[in-house]
Amino acid sequence: METASTAAPRQFHPFFISFGGALLMAALFTDYMYSSNALMQWANFSAWLITGGLVLALVSVIVLGVDFALGRAGRIRWLDFALLAAAVLLSLMNVFVHTRDAWTSVVPTGITLSLIVAILLLIVGLRGWAVTEMKVAERSSKQ
Amino acid sequence: MSAGAGPERFFLAAIAALAACSQRGGDPSRQYGPDPYLPEPHQYLLPPMSVPKAVGWKPGEAPSVPAGLRIQAMATGLMHPRIVYPLPNGDVLVIESNSPGTKPFRPKDYIQGKVKARAGAAAKGGNRITLLRDANGDGVPELRTVLIDHLHSPYGVAWVAGTLYVANTDAILAFPFVPGQTKITAPGVKLTDLPAGPIDHHWTKSMVASPDGSKLYVGVGSNSNITENGMDVEEGRAAIYEVDRLTGAKRIYASGTRNPTNLAIQPGTGTLFAVVNERDEIGPDLVPDYLTSIRNGGFYGWPYSYWGQHVDVRVHPQNPAMVAKAIKPDYGLSSHVAALGLTFSQGETLSPKFASGVFVGEHGSWDRSPLNGYQVIFVPFANGRPSGMPIPVVTDFLAADHKTVRGRPVGVALDRTGALIVADDVGNVVWRVSAATGR
Repeated sequence: METASTAAPRQFHPFFISFGGALLMAALFTDYMYSSNALMQWANFSAWLITGGLVLALVSVIVLGVDFALGRAGRIRWLDFALLAAAVLLSLMNVFVHTRDAWTSVVPTGITLSLIVAILLLIVGLRGWAVTEMKVAERSSKQ
Repeated sequence: MSAGAGPERFFLAAIAALAACSQRGGDPSRQYGPDPYLPEPHQYLLPPMSVPKAVGWKPGEAPSVPAGLRIQAMATGLMHPRIVYPLPNGDVLVIESNSPGTKPFRPKDYIQGKVKARAGAAAKGGNRITLLRDANGDGVPELRTVLIDHLHSPYGVAWVAGTLYVANTDAILAFPFVPGQTKITAPGVKLTDLPAGPIDHHWTKSMVASPDGSKLYVGVGSNSNITENGMDVEEGRAAIYEVDRLTGAKRIYASGTRNPTNLAIQPGTGTLFAVVNERDEIGPDLVPDYLTSIRNGGFYGWPYSYWGQHVDVRVHPQNPAMVAKAIKPDYGLSSHVAALGLTFSQGETLSPKFASGVFVGEHGSWDRSPLNGYQVIFVPFANGRPSGMPIPVVTDFLAADHKTVRGRPVGVALDRTGALIVADDVGNVVWRVSAATGR
């Protein structure tokens, strides 16, 4: 290979974090709808959205590991990591709250947790849905 | 039931561990009678539960009965027997049935499915009625035959005036039938529809005929634990219907009965009694299942309140006007026993202790730790009302360590000789309890 300027290596975990984050944030909307119209289907949507968000959180962790293993990831950003960890733990609690039956599956605890999670994820999202620094493009002169 | 595969077993163990963190139930005897102890309701992340594994009976094993009684298996290898119904000629009908199946709404429903399967509640029902003929009354039937096949989750039956009425989950069917007959081939004629799918959460339709035979009373369970499938699907549910036997015209006789799993007419007075299974997931000692006389037009609280005016905050919107109307049931059976069987005693056929009262088959459930129910009890009556502490009659369905369950009692009835017949839908057995001195 000739000396080349390579683009920053692409890391894959932000996609999965953003996907899961979107589902968890959507649960705030469906919780709000249920709290305003008491139609159970909205609460059912919330339960599925939070479950989906948690599954994607697990996938994100695996993909993050792969990003590290393949040397795609830069240094870890502990603030984003902590915000996401808090969002996942609160969502884990929230998914159990949403297994309750009828009104108290959402009001007041469920929708409160959904709101806190949505705020945490908003911050993480605006900061780029990543828990690591992007590796800067580096010039290699070897080979 | 086979044991779960590795991950599934781990998953159930994790759930059990989480559940163990929550409250344990107290002494059930505080919840018998007209004024049961009612603790404050709780909302859980994971409600208290424990799930015994269904293992069935080994050859020679049987439930225990008190001294002076003996128990024998009258029929084995049945397909989820739920109800036993003796006919005037001594033949016993066994209704083999299970839920028509419900579709999951939430992630929770998949997990509940696994729990049910472990406890032996997911086995396929026979959707048929088997006839047992024990002409000499020794408890060993000389004849066993399928009387009616290809039913649709049948449960209650009643024989009135040359007609056998069968309450499928979605309709009452009428079959011309003379006791002595061993096979019915004629298709049933639909008398009336009953509230059923597409959800059909509590699918059983208990049934009893009025003393004069002109009416059929039918118990219809709610479509949810506590309205979590929506208020609209509860229209016409959690009620006891009165159906005109000849025309099929029906009306709601009583309502607010969450799951009226069995009905019986009190001999002498003709009063309708019911056992009703109450709501889950607000505590190991809430809400007591109950035995009660049923008043024409009465409202018994579900979903808005329990045991009279105890409001359930899970229901939205709430309805204070209905809460005010709610009738307190007659007699608490303690919480999560899943009372499914009910029959009045007919004098001292088994023991002087059982002269006046009802036998109640308690299926048991997993919504409590420690487990409760899993036995047949006798509730004594005085002056025509349930009165005093119940007496355990058929016990030891559950292993001493509460980890495994060999059988679960459902329907109960007295046969022509006065012996107690018990359907066991996990052991797939029909048990017969008779006086030891009787023969």
